[in-house]
Amino acid sequence: MTKTNGYAIRTSALTKEYEQGVRAVDALDLVVEANSVFALLGPNGAGKTTTVSMLTTLLPPTSGTALVAGSDVLDDPGGVRRKIGVTFQETVLDDALTGRQALDHHGRLYGLSRSARRERARELLALTELEDAADRQIKKYSGGMKRRLELIRGLMTDPEILFLDEPTLGVDPQNRARIGDHILRLKERRGMTVLLTTHDLDEAARLADTVGIVDEGRLVVVGSPDELIAEMGDDSMHVQGEAPSDAFATAAGALDFVTEVVPTDSGVQLGVDSGDRRLTEVVRLAAEVGYPIEAISVARPTLGDVFLKYTGRALRD
Amino acid sequence: MGAALIIWNKQMGKFARNGEESVGSLIQPVLWVVIFGVGMRSLLGPTLGSGDAYVSFILPGIIALTVLSGATGGGMTWLLERVQGIVKEYLVAPIARLSILLGNAASIMTKALIQSVVILAVGVLVGATVGGDALDWIGALVLVLLFGLGFSGIALAAGSMTDDIGVYHMMIALLQLPMLFLSNALYPLDSLPIWLAWVARFNPASYLVDGLRQTVLTDGLTMAGGELLPLWACFAVCAGFAVAGMLLSLRVFRRSLA
Repeated sequence: MTKTNGYAIRTSALTKEYEQGVRAVDALDLVVEANSVFALLGPNGAGKTTTVSMLTTLLPPTSGTALVAGSDVLDDPGGVRRKIGVTFQETVLDDALTGRQALDHHGRLYGLSRSARRERARELLALTELEDAADRQIKKYSGGMKRRLELIRGLMTDPEILFLDEPTLGVDPQNRARIGDHILRLKERRGMTVLLTTHDLDEAARLADTVGIVDEGRLVVVGSPDELIAEMGDDSMHVQGEAPSDAFATAAGALDFVTEVVPTDSGVQLGVDSGDRRLTEVVRLAAEVGYPIEAISVARPTLGDVFLKYTGRALRD
Repeated sequence: MGAALIIWNKQMGKFARNGEESVGSLIQPVLWVVIFGVGMRSLLGPTLGSGDAYVSFILPGIIALTVLSGATGGGMTWLLERVQGIVKEYLVAPIARLSILLGNAASIMTKALIQSVVILAVGVLVGATVGGDALDWIGALVLVLLFGLGFSGIALAAGSMTDDIGVYHMMIALLQLPMLFLSNALYPLDSLPIWLAWVARFNPASYLVDGLRQTVLTDGLTMAGGELLPLWACFAVCAGFAVAGMLLSLRVFRRSLA
């Protein structure tokens, strides 16, 4: 395992700037530990795919550096390419080939011997339950099958780092869960580093050891899902009201059981120690300051709430 | 460059398995030979000399046309594969960018060489005399290969410049047919008006055509007129064209990646 101080990926002020100063990725300092699953979570247009494109040597950075599996993306792109596997956001499979042919072709590009290719293809096809379809043309595969094939194609070369760009985008819930399981299983078996991008909170929370929230090209916060959610308090109370909420927000913040106060478009979100217990106190407070409550709900905080806290916006699907 | 071979292999495999494409690629050149070999010869043959000699004279032009069409089609396939994302697999693999282009150009050329042999074979059936020693044959195929690589390079470059098929065809059309018509493929060089003769002398296609006429289609020389482009020049120009074309494709492709 090639390490850079124990890190699989390390970037420093990684930037991609287009005309008129538009920055798709803005001075990103990313650190991904080896043998972990890192999820880049953010809405569409946040710069996730651009970041992955730079890390996989598809796109040159405008400035900054990136070390992937110990190799610099600009100085030694060949070194990077040898050690990574990539599954792209779009399906980039050649329809005219069969699943097995696609895997074999991929293995040949990386210099795998015939026996290694055959063996690994067999193993990976079994892992994702694609053996029966292996000798059928990819154009006949369903969307879910194509995604699974994309996933194992990236694995044919036993990479040190696997990049998954929106691996379950457009995939139905059932296949989404299956693909997620495959990813977890793979990490355990091979001791591999996985960097995945997603705008799906549940996916990030379930699969990732570390989550990095990105918004408008910037890395806003990094932590394990549990850590980030714990910061929000034990429960999240969503208070919705018509009127401006500043007075209420300030008053609520003063309460001793409130750990977080986040203004939203429709009201205020409070992090509290126990939603059920504190409900009446919050309602009473609202009445005291004259804030008309339209609706109030209690839920365990999610990464969506974390996103809201750090970016001031909701993470929409 | 082993990767070029792997990519060539994949493209040829697809071609072999695609019945419509393989059969279609053989029918088109045969049609051209028949049109010129049977149709036109009765029109032009008697006036120009002999019908058979006419077919031998015109065959190199048909080969050039076929190579140009093949490369144009190959450039379009390249554009589609780029747009579909298939090329991304190659871009993140540890292979040289040039290999990707060479592998595709080589598969375009292999198909064109097969078509060329078919053209020569059918040409014989309609009266051409195709012959020469082993060196002539090798020379002829090398000329076709080099010229084809040159134009494939141009087609791949055009296919890297745009994501729109319409725009691609517009760009390539500016070159494809003019390359054929503004050459000595259809008329002897010394019978062309002065300005056209000069354009033809700068056109790589003329060198492919005269090269073929001096190797395996010598029967057509009677109609080729007094001025013939020397054989050494034919090889030199086609080789230069091949190198220039492929380098152009590499440059344009690299630029499209930034």
